[in-house]
Amino acid sequence: MRKFIHLTEQDNVVTLLDDLSGLERLSDGTAVRPGIPFGHKAAVANIPAGSPIVKYGVVIGHATRVIAAGEHVHVGNCA
Amino acid sequence: MSENGFSGFCRADGRVGVRNHLLVLSTVALTNRLAEMVAESVPGSLLLTAEFMRGLRGRDVLIQNRVIDGMIRHPNVGAVLAIVHDAAAGERMRETLAHAGKPSDVLVFMNAHGMADAVAEGRGALMRLAAAIAGAARETVPWSRLAVALECGGSDATSALFANPVIGRFVDWLTDRGGTAIVSETAEFIGAEPVVRSRAATPAVAAQILDRISRIEEMMKADGEDYRGVNPTAENLAAGLTTLVEKSMGAVAKTGKAQFVACLDFAETPQQAGLCFMDTPFFSPVSITGMVCGGAQLVLFGVGVFNPSGNPLAPTIKVCGNPATMQTWADSLDLDVSGILSADRNIDEMATALRETVARVAGGAQSCAESWREGQIIAPKSVAAL
Repeated sequence: MRKFIHLTEQDNVVTLLDDLSGLERLSDGTAVRPGIPFGHKAAVANIPAGSPIVKYGVVIGHATRVIAAGEHVHVGNCA
Repeated sequence: MSENGFSGFCRADGRVGVRNHLLVLSTVALTNRLAEMVAESVPGSLLLTAEFMRGLRGRDVLIQNRVIDGMIRHPNVGAVLAIVHDAAAGERMRETLAHAGKPSDVLVFMNAHGMADAVAEGRGALMRLAAAIAGAARETVPWSRLAVALECGGSDATSALFANPVIGRFVDWLTDRGGTAIVSETAEFIGAEPVVRSRAATPAVAAQILDRISRIEEMMKADGEDYRGVNPTAENLAAGLTTLVEKSMGAVAKTGKAQFVACLDFAETPQQAGLCFMDTPFFSPVSITGMVCGGAQLVLFGVGVFNPSGNPLAPTIKVCGNPATMQTWADSLDLDVSGILSADRNIDEMATALRETVARVAGGAQSCAESWREGQIIAPKSVAAL
């Protein structure tokens, strides 16, 4: 199970805190896609295309396509 | 218990000091050496010398005077011996000290009969000031009387995710109780404009802060730098930072979620409680000079890899979430928050630990940077001197 940090209650992403990218569960049991590196983000809810990505309680970008819960959130789907 | 408040020295102007410094302040570089010798002659005094100059022009005069005045009036200073070069400066300083609300004296270098005489006169004046404040006693005061300077440096992923968010959680707690926090380093806010807009208490405050940020960006462009074009960098992207806002938030996280209530100029004193933005350069000794001379009694400093900066007047509390740094620089760091990474501690628990550390340091326990006597006073300049 992977360590992560959920910085504020409003965040719809968490940041992964280990490099055990083969694992598919976060330490709270929720599903996460394999392959997400240390320090990168995973969605913790389904995020419609165009919706805000919220980290630190603020909008850090928007989904450039629909993002499923557990998916890696980075340059391919967030700008 | 730290719930009720912190312990400090109540000053005539209503502010509270967490230290009771006997300050020897050289007001111009010409008297730095004299100040050193006077301070050496009275153990326990605090020497403050900087590169204060004559021949400054325009805004640089204002800034230098504001820094000097800010130190004289600082609540952590119990008494001050101001050393000036000539009689005219002496007259002006007497006028300033008359309103300082604390025991003080002026030593005029050119009135002395040689260097040894100047040192002897200074020593006598300093001993009298030491006696004047020897009986000062601490009282418990509410947290609303605390103003903290917020700083980060040696930033890495751990400061963005652990140290700065922990500081931010403490700032939320402090500002909820009527306290004040000052954040600075304008360049770090490039990219955080949407956050400033949504968190400014009024449109006027937002406009002032955004104006300061855009001026810095114009300076960078004039230097040929395209900050937005190159950020996040390839290294940032590899590390998981996706957007410039996210990168900026790594530093802005130390402000918590409070509203920005004011935009301050360099070393300007806040006129209201809450979270304030101060326009300063990004170099930590300079930004800390600005925030402390504006009145911050303590500095909260989030580090990833180590950064030594402190301040002579205000104890600096170093908060670190990087386990490797905690090991290497254990003699220079005050609060380890890497437990969030390794042991399932959370931000709230670490923020409570920070509050307890703040209460202890405010009450007299030395911070590491303070015990190393770390820190410089640097007043920024913008034009050529005569």
